[in-house]
Amino acid sequence: MDALIAASARALSAGDALGALKGVALREDPPALALRGIAMAQLGELARARDLLRRAARAFGPREELARARCVLAEAEVALAMRELGDPPRLLAAAAVTLEKHGDRSNALHARLLTARRFLLLGRLADALAALETVDPRGLPPALAAVAELTSAELALRSLRSAPARAALARAHQAAYRSGIPSLIAEVAEARAALDRPAARRIASGAEQPLRLDEVEALLASGALVLDACRRGLAGAGAWQPLARRPILFSLARSLAEAWPQDVERDALIATAFRTRRPDETHRARLRVEIGRLRALVKHLAGIEATPRGFVLQPRGASQVVVLAPPIDGEQASLVALLSDGTAWSTSALALALGDSQRTVQRAVAELEAAGQVRGVGQARARRWVAAPLAGFTTVLLLPASLPGA
Amino acid sequence: MSTTTHSRPSQAEAHAAEIVREFGPFAASTPVHGVSYDGTRVWAATGERLLAIDPSSGEVTRTLECTCDAGTAFDGKHLWQIAGSRIDKIDPVTGEVMASIPAPAGGSNSGLTWAEGSLWVGDYRGRSIHRIDPATGAVQRTVETNRFVTGVTWVDGELWHGTWEADESELRRIHPESGEVLTRLEMPPGTGVSGLESDGADLLYCGGGASGKVRAVRRPRAQRA
Repeated sequence: MDALIAASARALSAGDALGALKGVALREDPPALALRGIAMAQLGELARARDLLRRAARAFGPREELARARCVLAEAEVALAMRELGDPPRLLAAAAVTLEKHGDRSNALHARLLTARRFLLLGRLADALAALETVDPRGLPPALAAVAELTSAELALRSLRSAPARAALARAHQAAYRSGIPSLIAEVAEARAALDRPAARRIASGAEQPLRLDEVEALLASGALVLDACRRGLAGAGAWQPLARRPILFSLARSLAEAWPQDVERDALIATAFRTRRPDETHRARLRVEIGRLRALVKHLAGIEATPRGFVLQPRGASQVVVLAPPIDGEQASLVALLSDGTAWSTSALALALGDSQRTVQRAVAELEAAGQVRGVGQARARRWVAAPLAGFTTVLLLPASLPGA
Repeated sequence: MSTTTHSRPSQAEAHAAEIVREFGPFAASTPVHGVSYDGTRVWAATGERLLAIDPSSGEVTRTLECTCDAGTAFDGKHLWQIAGSRIDKIDPVTGEVMASIPAPAGGSNSGLTWAEGSLWVGDYRGRSIHRIDPATGAVQRTVETNRFVTGVTWVDGELWHGTWEADESELRRIHPESGEVLTRLEMPPGTGVSGLESDGADLLYCGGGASGKVRAVRRPRAQRA
């Protein structure tokens, strides 16, 4: 339509972002601003890109709502790449409706995918799933199909369903190759590699063995009673009893599970659960109370019997008891294991689950954040922590397909 | 006389455009940025290739490898083609670029036609049409309109331009002095107009933007006002 815009768009689609900028560098009209924004994003200048796209969206006239919606979409994707998740999703939702109305189906679906990915990064898995279910990956352009499959693989992994995750990653792999975008291909390869890394350790009868995610899943399905020290709970026969918010009960359960089929001495239980080496009668009374509480909570999975020197775990139905521990020892590994369910945790909830002080958890989280393994969302008291996504999420929209007026 | 004239609110009644024929798309995902007519063939600018189309068969009979980002024009002997920030004069036989002049500076140039020794260039977002000197590129005068200009053509003393704004496209005949809208032909919804050229008779050829099509629209006979 417009020679310089067309020439710049051609340069962009050939991967020549600098050439694209050359043609429109001095222009301030909205299509030029949008194009400059997309070129800057491709050059990695995300903050500048977002500013340009925002100005472009504002500058388009009231009758140019399609062009404006595309700018909102591009800006949202840049914000996501910057991990800035504060913007209200209703702008993006409105843009999706506008894009749909104007028959721009692939950008409309892209807007939905962005919404799903944003929820995933915020640790709102149910919302992410709901948003993802509105996207039909069939018939999508390859790059978008790859991102859709990556997103659903991530969701499946977070809920320990490795078979659907593997299938989604295989489809993502094919789509990424068809798209020919190297960063996307690398992203999928990285996510697939994550599937083959040890996700946990199995501890049974004093022996340890690393497990991949699908082996964890198989173990949970095997009928064994599993004391899951990653997610902090007791699993068996398809049932799940969370103990994350009951650190003392979890600690008792873990001691009993590690000792199974032997019993555990009262003093040993008191030492680990109450952290004291000099037990007295009040501790023994408290132990009876706590064991009673644990017994009530897990009675559908296992019984807890008193023995002459302590207590013993007696699984119902299950033939064996297995302890599942984080892949490596230590405070940080336990934190990462807890966060790997993909939901958002507050520092106080983490402290409660791990039985540590908030201060200790804050220190550990800060170190993990510096290493890029966890991410904070929100400010001050509303701050929550989520695990870094398995795949980094390549920004794929930033292609001329989204250009206003194109 | 002032070199710039202002448009008045459009008074002309809109009529539905009568699409006589459609050509293309010619290859996957090649948008049409501009069209021209050399007396026998329709030329379509598709970014990196100028296609010559036989209007009787709809077949591409010739392809010139050259940069073509927007409007195309034919002066009786040569093709003129907007390429980025310049306008190239092209030998239609060899495809050789014989000369280049700068396109009007700072403008969003879109649409080109030849008339009476001058080139007329559409300024897309500037909602105006410039008459320029084909030797130097200097702007001689400017006609303002009230819609985005996506194609320009002269036929029988009538100045026509294509517009595409907010998903609505029209072919408009405007007064070359005042910019007053004299005739409006509404394209069907979802049909863009990028590039416009008359065949010198009853047809107007228009580019279809990202659809990659070229459409022939019947030009209504002038009613003398």
